Parts: sequence; structure tokens; C-alpha cells
Amino acid sequence: MRTEDHRDWKLSLGAYALGDLPADERAAVAAHLEGCEECRAELCSLEGVAALLPLADPDRIEGPAVRPPADLGARIEAQIAAESAREGRVRRRRRFRLGVGGAVAAAAVAAVLAIAILPLGGGESSPAQQVKFASLPNGVSIDATLEPHAFGTEIEMYVSGVRSGTLCRVFLRDAQGRTYSAGSFRYRWGADSHAQLSSALDLSQAKVVGVHAGNRTFTAPVDQATALIGGADFDAT
Amino acid sequence: MGALTRERDVREAYAAHSGELYGFAVRSLGDAGLAEEAVQETFLRAWKAGDRFDPEIGSLRTWLFAILRNVVIDLGRARAARPRVAEGGVEPSVEPLEQALLAWQVEEAMRRIGEDHRRVLLETHFRARPYSEVAEELGVPEGTIKSRVYYGLRALRVALEEMGYED
Repeated sequence: MRTEDHRDWKLSLGAYALGDLPADERAAVAAHLEGCEECRAELCSLEGVAALLPLADPDRIEGPAVRPPADLGARIEAQIAAESAREGRVRRRRRFRLGVGGAVAAAAVAAVLAIAILPLGGGESSPAQQVKFASLPNGVSIDATLEPHAFGTEIEMYVSGVRSGTLCRVFLRDAQGRTYSAGSFRYRWGADSHAQLSSALDLSQAKVVGVHAGNRTFTAPVDQATALIGGADFDAT
Repeated sequence: MGALTRERDVREAYAAHSGELYGFAVRSLGDAGLAEEAVQETFLRAWKAGDRFDPEIGSLRTWLFAILRNVVIDLGRARAARPRVAEGGVEPSVEPLEQALLAWQVEEAMRRIGEDHRRVLLETHFRARPYSEVAEELGVPEGTIKSRVYYGLRALRVALEEMGYED
């Protein structure tokens, strides 16, 4: 068999594996495969991929590329920074005992705390703000405390009285009506229902804090005139 | 030592993998808002469990996809538990999700191969058009269509293998 012929047979294997060859060509390729080990091995490798193709949806392949929103990375960093700061506040020392990696994590926590403490001006009072959710259904209670940070706003939210397992999606809204996600949590009966969340929106820009709980949405105004509520717990010792 | 304990590592992991993770989240949840939450939750969980990631055992990409898979299952359950659909709501089983992941990988691999190869596979296989018709439309010999199908399948296999596919 000449090399050129062999190459021609090989090029037919794609269409053969996909079952797209006319009957006469198909029979000819099958006959060649009988006597050609190399082509049989090649066919085997192509058939695995060919078998997966029916799973794909051609419209999705050609549709516009799906890309995450530009600010999603910043929101994730903000949330991690907030969690990091919280770990420091509650003096969870787990990461501090992990050797070199722990030391780096500790430095990161310390850096976040340093940023967080700066706006406190002496640390006697915190600019955290407690908001009131009005017109809630009977039995439902929602409280939120907002705290400004360099990365945005930290939100501590307490929910009770909704169905266990309810997905709660928290957001802030600015004066222009733009919504900034602050993440989500699930309400569980009997579990600690204080959720720690964060949003990239500065507290000074926030007009409304809200939560989508299941198919209901509850909101509360953010009072820009008030900056209060005591109990700064930034003891970075 | 874990490789995701530092916030800078999370940023790098996000830059490298968020596009794919988000693409799969949209594909399997069918909702852009939920997909954002899923990706956010995935990186948060990855950061929290960063100590447990060992690059000796598997790639960061595989690990992140494993976390996302669990997040998608959790979000699917939470959605099923919402009051409107609570009655008779069935938890999503694992099988369709694995199927969705595989389908998404094939679609993503198709997007990654060359335009010439993708076009020919789409027209001849997915749209079942005769090779002669596609050859005429593209102004190339029919033999070229056949060879593009062959090299297209091979390229697809390489793209899938880069995403962790094995026979």
C-alpha cells in the first residue's frame, strides 16, 4: 500500500467515526480497516470523541461567549476580605498555627484589620448602622447591621420566621437604583441565623439594603445621616 | 501546604478559571444571577478550604470544578425548596449534572478549536448538510471538507483532554 493511499484512508476516518459517510464509501473504509491496524487504532481514538458530540448544542457553541460580570472578581475579593477580618475579630486562631502558610494568612488578616480600623478615628465608636425592615409579614423578622470598610460594606443579617432552607440573596442599592450583590445564605431552623455578607458598594453610597428571600423581597432604607450604633469590636489583639 | 490560603492566590485562580466556571454555572443553572452566586460561593469555599488543596493530587481547575459542582447541587436544592415549587419538588439527581458538565465541556472544546474545523463540523455533522454543498459554499474541494472533519475531531480530542477528559 502506498503512503498516499493510506493518508487518504486516514482522512476518511473522521467522517466514518461520525457515521457521516455514504454507504459505498463506508463499505470501502470498513474493508480497509480490516487489514490496517494503524487505522483501527486511529478510529478508536476518534470514536470516543465522536460519541460525545450529540451532547453538544450547536446554538450554544455559536452563541455569544458567556462571561462573568466585570465586578464579580472584586465582589469575591471583598467577601473574602470581610471573612478574613471577621476571623480576626472573633480571634479564630486556626490559621495562625499552620506554619509558614498560616503566617502569611495572619499577615493578610492583620492587613485587612489595619484597613478596617483606620476610619474609626481612635476606635471609641463604630460607624456601623442598624437598619429597620418595615412591613414584614407576621412572624418574619429581619435585622441588618451595616459597617463601612475600605473594600465596601460589611452586612450582618439576622433572619427568622421564613421557611427553613429558604435561599436569601442580599443586596445594596445606590441612589441611581443600581444593585450590588452582597452574596447569599440559606436560612435554617435551629441553626445560627446570623449571616455575614459583604458588598463592593461603599456604605456612604448605599440607599437601600434588601434581601430576596425565596420569592419575596424585603428592603430597608439606609440612613446616610446616621452613623452610629456602638460596640466597635475591632480588638485586633 | 495548601495553595489557596492567600487572597492573592484566590485572585490568580479567579483570573485563570472564572470564565469556565461561570460558563458551566450558567449552563447548568440556566440563570445568570444564580451563576454569579455559584461562582462567588465556589471561590469562598475554595479559600476557606485552601489548606486542603494539594496540587500534587490534582489540578486547581479540577478542584474548583468539584467545588462548583457541589455548589450547583446546593443551589438547585435551595431553588427546589422555594415555596412556589416546594410541593412535589424533586431534588436534582447527580446524573443530569454530570451530563451537563460533559455537554458544556464538549461545547467549550468546540469553541476552542479553529474556526475552519468548527464550521465544517457544525455544518456537516450537527446540521447534516452534504459535504458537496458545504464544499461549494466554502469554495474548497470536497476532499478538504473531509480532511477538516478529521483534523477537527482530532483537535476536539486535544481540547477535551486539556480539560481533563479521558476515554
